[in-house]
Amino acid sequence: MKTISLKVNGITKEITVEDNELLLNALREKLGITSVKAACWRGECGLCTVLLDGIPVKSCMTLAVEADGKEVITAEGLYSDERAKKLMESFVKHGAMQCGFCTPAFVVTSHYVLTKNPEVDGEELKKELNGVICRCGTYYQIYEAVKDAEKYYKKETKS
Amino acid sequence: MSFTTPYFTLPKFTYFKPTKLEDALSLLRQYKGKAKVMAGGIMLVNLMKERQIFPEYVIDIKGIEELKRISKTENGIKIGSAVTAIELQNSLIVRDNLPVLAKAASYMGDRTLQHTVTIGGNISVGMPSTDGLPALMSMDSLLRIKSQDGERTIPASELVIGLGKTSLKDDEIITEIIVPYSSGLKGTYLKLINASEVAITTVAVSVLLKERKLSVVIGAIAPKPYYFDHKSLQWKWEASLTENLKNASEIIGSNVKPMSDAVASSEYRKEVSKVLAVRALKEVFGGA
Repeated sequence: MKTISLKVNGITKEITVEDNELLLNALREKLGITSVKAACWRGECGLCTVLLDGIPVKSCMTLAVEADGKEVITAEGLYSDERAKKLMESFVKHGAMQCGFCTPAFVVTSHYVLTKNPEVDGEELKKELNGVICRCGTYYQIYEAVKDAEKYYKKETKS
Repeated sequence: MSFTTPYFTLPKFTYFKPTKLEDALSLLRQYKGKAKVMAGGIMLVNLMKERQIFPEYVIDIKGIEELKRISKTENGIKIGSAVTAIELQNSLIVRDNLPVLAKAASYMGDRTLQHTVTIGGNISVGMPSTDGLPALMSMDSLLRIKSQDGERTIPASELVIGLGKTSLKDDEIITEIIVPYSSGLKGTYLKLINASEVAITTVAVSVLLKERKLSVVIGAIAPKPYYFDHKSLQWKWEASLTENLKNASEIIGSNVKPMSDAVASSEYRKEVSKVLAVRALKEVFGGA
């Protein structure tokens, strides 16, 4: 048992976890963050993706203790970001989902990609998003939604 | 809701995250045989979930700064074992001098995992699907291995000794990878992934050409990658590329003994090895 300190979506929290506990379980069960989905449990589907210190990681492959002292951002935390809000609206506008189970992971990952490079090349964008699987197959709409949201991220970097 | 069955949970262990290499080595000595080193941890976590390994102690080396450096020296490019696949692709030193390694790194798992996967972890699990090892072997890289007793340096080709087995002792860590470089290096890394739900490498080919020295490494088809050089391929520098390719393809075909598994059959892997090797050689020789 270890007590770890996590800054989750802007709020610092202290939780007690087992050494062998996954970050995914800690987030869902101890902190009630349910946008982080559990599906394959082996690092393939990417639905449990969160930003750990700003970098996308699969939380089913990460130990909770590894995240000690770090900042975790999930889809919930992106509501406070104006650009990310526009990105989410763009997902709705383009119908970039069918069942919606993968949407939080795609939003988090594409937010990371656009923050890093708002002028990301089309092929590069597809590569950047290849860690998340959409079982409904709405990849094209997701691609369109992210491309459409590029402008909000560009504006932010200029001002 | 809490899953308690294997596959969703990990066996019990104690986690350490030393910030100094000496501390990591002394922990490994203290818990010799009961501890596992964790860098990115992808393979380690999956093997623990599948209950294939039960380490009592897990030693995370991501906190050790000296294992995360990339530097250019006279003896070669030095890459710390905890450098991630993304860092390899973004590093100007690697991109400018070792494009083959940068390309191999772009194949290590999917893009999200590449933020986590490390070069040291990728090669030291001893799995045939490693992308790092064929690339490093084609560049005649050396591995620097440390334990509390001291250090030793071995060629990358001597690391893997069987399926999931390496020549690393229980208390040793790969600390650094030393890759020789020189101007005028040409090379490429090609790979075929089975288009099933699991993105496991079927065949990987790494080719490096330096003036009149050629090396072709074929990975993922057997526990240990196959190494061919211009001598074993009977490469004739004066002969035409077409003739050389035909010859090389035959030699590769008669020398490799690929394994059959859920991903691909032995016969299929043999054919793909020949095709990919020819494709890679064509690319390196500029189709001339």
